[in-house]
Amino acid sequence: MNFAFRLMFRDIRSGDLLTLLLALVISVSTVTSIGLFIDRLQLSFEQESANLLAADRLIRSDDDIPKEWEAKANELSLQAAQRTSFTTMMFAGDSLQLSQLSAVTDSYPLKGAYLVDDVLFGTGKRSTDTPKQGEIWVSSRLASLLKLNLGDQVEVGDASLKVSQYLVRDPGSSTSAFAISPRAVMNMADLAATNVIIPGSRVRYSLLLAGSREALDEYENWITPRLSEGQRWQTPTQRGERIGDTIGRAESFLLLAGTLAVVMSGVAMALASARFVKRHLMQVAILKTIGATPKLLGQLFLLQLSILFMVGALIGLGIGWGLQEIIASLLSGLMSTTLPEPSISRLWLGAATGLISMVVFCLPLMSRLIKISPLSVLQPNARIELNGFAIYVIGFIGMFGLMCLYTNGFLLPSIMTAAILGIALFVAAIGWLAFKLGRSLTSGATSGWQIGLASLYRRLIPNLFQLLVFTLIIMLTLILIGVKSSLIADWQQQLPEDAPNHYLFNVQANQIDQINSDTTQLGLKKSDWYPMVRGRVTAVNNTTIQSLYPEERGEPELYERELNLTWSDTLGKGNELVEGDFFAEGLSVELKAAKEANLEMGDELTINIGGNIITLPITSIRTVDWGSMQPNFYLILPKSALEDYPANFVSSLFISDAQAQAFYRAMAHFPTVSILNVGDILKQIQTIVGQLSQAIQLVLLCILSAGALVLLASVRSTLEERLEEGALLRVLGARGALVRQALLVEFGALGFFAGLIAAIGAETCLLGLQVFVFNAEASFHPLLWLLGPAIGIVVISTIGIFASRTVLKVPPVLLLRGL
Amino acid sequence: MPRNTAIKVSNLTHTVTSNTGDLTILKGINMEIKESESVAIVGSSGSGKSTLLGLLAGLEVNTSGEIFLYEQEFSSQSEEQRALVRGQYVGFVFQSFHLLPSLQAIENVMLPAELKGDKEARNKAEALLEKVGLSHRLTHYPNQLSGGEQQRVAIARAFASNPKILFADEPTGNLDEENGKLIIKLLFDLNQSQGTTLVMVTHDNELAKMCDRQLVMSAGQLTEKSL
Ligand SMILES: Nc1ncnc2c1ncn2[C@@H]1O[C@H](COP(=O)(O)OP(=O)(O)O)[C@@H](O)[C@H]1O
Ligand SMILES: [Mg+2]
Repeated sequence: MNFAFRLMFRDIRSGDLLTLLLALVISVSTVTSIGLFIDRLQLSFEQESANLLAADRLIRSDDDIPKEWEAKANELSLQAAQRTSFTTMMFAGDSLQLSQLSAVTDSYPLKGAYLVDDVLFGTGKRSTDTPKQGEIWVSSRLASLLKLNLGDQVEVGDASLKVSQYLVRDPGSSTSAFAISPRAVMNMADLAATNVIIPGSRVRYSLLLAGSREALDEYENWITPRLSEGQRWQTPTQRGERIGDTIGRAESFLLLAGTLAVVMSGVAMALASARFVKRHLMQVAILKTIGATPKLLGQLFLLQLSILFMVGALIGLGIGWGLQEIIASLLSGLMSTTLPEPSISRLWLGAATGLISMVVFCLPLMSRLIKISPLSVLQPNARIELNGFAIYVIGFIGMFGLMCLYTNGFLLPSIMTAAILGIALFVAAIGWLAFKLGRSLTSGATSGWQIGLASLYRRLIPNLFQLLVFTLIIMLTLILIGVKSSLIADWQQQLPEDAPNHYLFNVQANQIDQINSDTTQLGLKKSDWYPMVRGRVTAVNNTTIQSLYPEERGEPELYERELNLTWSDTLGKGNELVEGDFFAEGLSVELKAAKEANLEMGDELTINIGGNIITLPITSIRTVDWGSMQPNFYLILPKSALEDYPANFVSSLFISDAQAQAFYRAMAHFPTVSILNVGDILKQIQTIVGQLSQAIQLVLLCILSAGALVLLASVRSTLEERLEEGALLRVLGARGALVRQALLVEFGALGFFAGLIAAIGAETCLLGLQVFVFNAEASFHPLLWLLGPAIGIVVISTIGIFASRTVLKVPPVLLLRGL
Repeated sequence: MPRNTAIKVSNLTHTVTSNTGDLTILKGINMEIKESESVAIVGSSGSGKSTLLGLLAGLEVNTSGEIFLYEQEFSSQSEEQRALVRGQYVGFVFQSFHLLPSLQAIENVMLPAELKGDKEARNKAEALLEKVGLSHRLTHYPNQLSGGEQQRVAIARAFASNPKILFADEPTGNLDEENGKLIIKLLFDLNQSQGTTLVMVTHDNELAKMCDRQLVMSAGQLTEKSL
């Protein structure tokens, strides 16, 4: 075996092993860095969402939380806290106000922090404490409504509590738009003394948990069968719709990017393996002539590959880790928070990618290699069939398996695999046609143009293969660029700088004029007023909801709860008519809600509005841009149906930090008006989007460099033949310029076709991805059609000329002999 | 002195599949070669000489018939066994040298001995290269050597395993006259000094005449050339 090492050392010296090593390092490091980076981002999202939840997990219940639930949490060494929220009347002096009150245990919040201030309408400082026994924190709005100052007493039921802080934000505050009213938080220990919770009160009990993932999973398994109706297990990933969407899509993007990196690595490994085998044909044949047995050769290559794998994986993991650290630190310069450390356990993914791609791409070729008959290598007329069908199949299955492993699912790998197969067929057909045409144009090669095109045709099979590789790499690049730009554009469009960040609810008709003049005076931009009447859908086409959904399970949102109904003379901002006539005397339903409830034009809904029953047909369906932060409604009724009911009005507006204090003071004149500030949530979304956009750009850059390396490797793999040909041409008397022109034409044409086909493939893939993975609308990407061929021509001819520059410099005699 | 039989071939045929369909290159060959004999195989290009030589060396399995190398029949053996026989009995010199381009001259020559785990591989290789007059070129790579020099390295490599039979396929075909003569002298010297059986394909009449026997390959058949 000493011999094996010596042979390997000599192989390394000649650079033949290095190509394989390089491919291995590229694949391990790309997959590792992206894998680790995604992990860090995910951890960071989870942390941020945990802050919103105030815990890692939460159980919501309509009834008191059983004692043993908390005991179980302690048993699993989980941190636990409880929160009890309800609406109650609060009194101070001769003022009274209905408020949203929560009582929390001392350990609350497990994640995130309160923002409190000792100045009315202040911006707040972080506090992970809770109000002490006998104390209460009230929101500035509640304080101004009840005319409270710090140190004043406020009465909650039978108890009297001292105001010790102004509450700015509650870490677990619900993002639901209708959980509004002045808020306060008190200590759980005082709750019993208030006597406000009596049987039948509407109370929401929460048990909050935090701890290791394993313990949480175990707890989830334990609790799930014990949950009854009205009790829900919540994880941070079930986030508010907008954040969830944003992060979900970014995760999909990163996953996609990682998958594409896996494919690229596979291509790189396949290329390098093929080159390795080609370069070792002669070695194997000669070793065999001098008596090397297949067994010995097998051991020899296995040993070489094992050492290669270990070295390559180590280097790759190292580089991957470093790269990911660089991306993270570049990013943390732009982010307020630092990313959490990645989990070391994620490293196996990179190593596994390296191992599997070596096994599926190298081993089958190697086993063929050692079986090759030496005579057929040495006999110039014999054809050596190395790339059997089986080898492609193994490679394909391996690649698919890797993608599945990577994405933990089948959807994305299936789309990608179908795309690659489709592209392969397409390339075969198109390429063959194109080259065939090319030849008929090139009979009698005299110019560089003709020599280049003729040369394309002469090596039809290798060129088609190369075309396929180029196409794949360019296509993957285009897909990523396409997804990236549409994602970022989407987000930016979703969240304009001055998107409304406050809602006004419960406004009475007679208050509208005053509020309008106040806001105009303050220079605030406000949406229209929408009248709001509460009502519930009770029947569809005269069948009651109860009989449609007897178990109350899977009830569409439209029927589940009381809805806010409105009427409007205009199709509001962010609304778009899909079907029907908005102004007809009937219902206008939001598209997604209609789909969820299987409703169509003409279906009749029966609605109970404060005891009165009306039945109306659906006369229009519209889409709503929920990101617009305008007041939006599932159901819009004709004015005639609603005008006799007492309505509240709702509006939304943008208030900058500078205007906030003045606005809150002005609104203190309207104690019954509820104000919901969604600015914090919006800001959080905006930061996350900002971070994600940066992250995505960096990951894209990473993959593009990997792609460029693969292209380089691919060009290099045919370099030997091209060198020979270039030298031969020059021996035959061609000028250097002619050879250069021929090469340029050859690579340029390959690049152009690859780019064009890649654009077709990318557009098709994007369609599939948008519809199936990103759940977005399909759209057309004209940029790709320009970018594809441009990248193809420019990048491939540059790489080609760069890699083949030796052809033009080295004396032909040397080349002919050296090969 | 009755000499042992080194090679015995009976009813050897060989068929290959090529682009244009099946091609029977050898059509029933019979022959016998004694130990330390020198035999020339002549015949027009494409008549199947190289194929025959490759089969004799066990580089591929013949389609039918039998080949005995020192009483051992090739076609009944596994590839593993054939390789071992090759390592023990056979040396091969090609028309186009076939040195490993990534190895230095000395490393090329060391290969057979290293394969057997011989610790003295380097010393032996040096001695052999000295014998072929290349002691000043030990660490050169094949593409730094002239054709004649490359072929001398190849011969040194062929003799490195002390083969009982040396196959040479047009060893001078790619060389000028002067280098050719040098190579031929080397081959015959070694053939004589080590008692090696020499089987050589050649187009060179002079060279053929130097051999004990001449066999003519024609249309897949082998006949003895009467002297
Ligand atoms: N593996 C093979 N596949 C296809 N054709 C072959 C193969 N081996 C040999 N041939 C063909 O068989 C004929 C004999 O070849 P060869 O033995 O090299 O002839 P020679 O050495 O006498 O010139 C040639 O025409 C050659 O092209
Ligand atoms: Mg021949």
